[in-house]
Amino acid sequence: MSVPASGASDSGSISAKRRGRVGWLRVRLSLLLQVLSVCAFLALWSAATEYGWVSTIFLPSPRAVATEAGKLVGTGELWQAIIASSRRVFLGFALAAVVAVPLGVVMGVWWPAKAIMDPFVSLLRPLPSITWIPLSILWLGIGESQKTAIVFMGSWIYILLYTLESTKRVDPLLIRAARNLGASDVAVMREVILPGALPGILSGLKVTLAISWSCVISAEMVAAQTGLGAIIWYGKDWGNLALVLVGMVGISVTVLVADVIAERIERALLPWERHRRG
Amino acid sequence: MGILSAQRVTKEFLPGSGHGLVAVHDLSLEVVEGEFLCLIGASGCGKSTLLNMFAGFIQPTLGQVRLRGEPITRIEPRCGMVFQSYALFPWKTVRGNVEFGPKMKGLSAADRHRIADRFIELVKLRGFEDRYPTELSGGMQQRVTFARVLAADPEVLLMDEPFAALDALTRQVMQEELLQIHERARKTTVFITHNIDEALILADRIVVMSARPGRVKTMVANTLPRPRRVSIQLSSEFAALKSEIWAHVEEEVRKHVAPVA
Repeated sequence: MSVPASGASDSGSISAKRRGRVGWLRVRLSLLLQVLSVCAFLALWSAATEYGWVSTIFLPSPRAVATEAGKLVGTGELWQAIIASSRRVFLGFALAAVVAVPLGVVMGVWWPAKAIMDPFVSLLRPLPSITWIPLSILWLGIGESQKTAIVFMGSWIYILLYTLESTKRVDPLLIRAARNLGASDVAVMREVILPGALPGILSGLKVTLAISWSCVISAEMVAAQTGLGAIIWYGKDWGNLALVLVGMVGISVTVLVADVIAERIERALLPWERHRRG
Repeated sequence: MGILSAQRVTKEFLPGSGHGLVAVHDLSLEVVEGEFLCLIGASGCGKSTLLNMFAGFIQPTLGQVRLRGEPITRIEPRCGMVFQSYALFPWKTVRGNVEFGPKMKGLSAADRHRIADRFIELVKLRGFEDRYPTELSGGMQQRVTFARVLAADPEVLLMDEPFAALDALTRQVMQEELLQIHERARKTTVFITHNIDEALILADRIVVMSARPGRVKTMVANTLPRPRRVSIQLSSEFAALKSEIWAHVEEEVRKHVAPVA
């Protein structure tokens, strides 16, 4: 960042403008290509099923999936399923964040905490969240709290590790500068370590949110009457492949929407990274 | 009696490990209140080590550094540091960075605002108060660090090659502005550089350090009149002082570039 205050910035802005125009064109073209590739895929899928290249026993046609989705939207079942799954994800994920973010920060700044937690983290991390299903059903039954617990168990370690890593990566020079300007321990934590770790913590939360979704779906596929995972399993049990695909598309779309919302929240919380992201 | 002093200070990194490095050896130095002192020397002569000991970032292995007679044993906010790499808080705006010192002193929001305004004005950054550091050029970021350290109102300013990352033209402009700031505030300043011109433009006194391990080789009083402008570089007095200092520095630089086996 050794750009001179003036002079070079003029020519810089001209080339930036040109780059901006080229970039804008590329964004448009890229969007067009994306739409085209989806259309081509749907056309191929339609052709394969309508002309009988693939038996509809193995792959239902897009039209059958759309009809099935229409039915589910009509009865309100799709919404109920999305809301049921989202609630479980949100509860489990929020609980995991509330526990793991403070714990991760403490582990990052105070080595005994890290030493105490490290063995558990190492042992628990390799366990997929579905391995907790038998114990969680025994302890919590098959209600909502069990689903929430599965999401929690599948999420908290990742949040913890991301938080720990981002806390440790805060530039020590900035901590030094803050102390030199008279900051106490508490002030260093509040003014430097937490805001310095925030971008890393938030991107960790975003990654973990997708993991939380895969946890809830697996929990619902094992034991649930509601939710997108339950729709998929119900479809499988009745040989209704179209319903299975509706559930799968439903998950994709819901997680995409959740991602967009998470992205918005992240941008709002990190105003200083605005222009770096463009 | 100086405001800041180093008394027979030795700093060895990794002492006793067999491959220890003596950065500073038996160095004594007094900084007089209100003066602008430049430490000049080849790279690796322990200048930064000495400055970091004055700030309390590191402790001497032997000897003592003192501020107003008291030993410096921890990070010392009365010795405000200007870092070469700026060390601005990227999540704070220009105003947020400049208000940091006053905020740490527990001043009210109104007082902080007033102080920040004054120093933002002083470093000519009015209109950029709400920008984040990454939105500014290198020269502007360095101005923010000056405003930030001045707003914290330390007794001594320590500057570790603050202009090293700037291009030559911006550097001259910044030197001139630092001259004006110093001539107005008269705050005791210890400034590290390896640029003789820069030392002669800024300093009241120039300390030439020897190559590793760092010692005071000689001191030169800068007799150039104040108030100064950067154009003083064209005077014959400047040239005479420059060749005098160069004579001292050259020997050390040669030692550093081609160490005797």
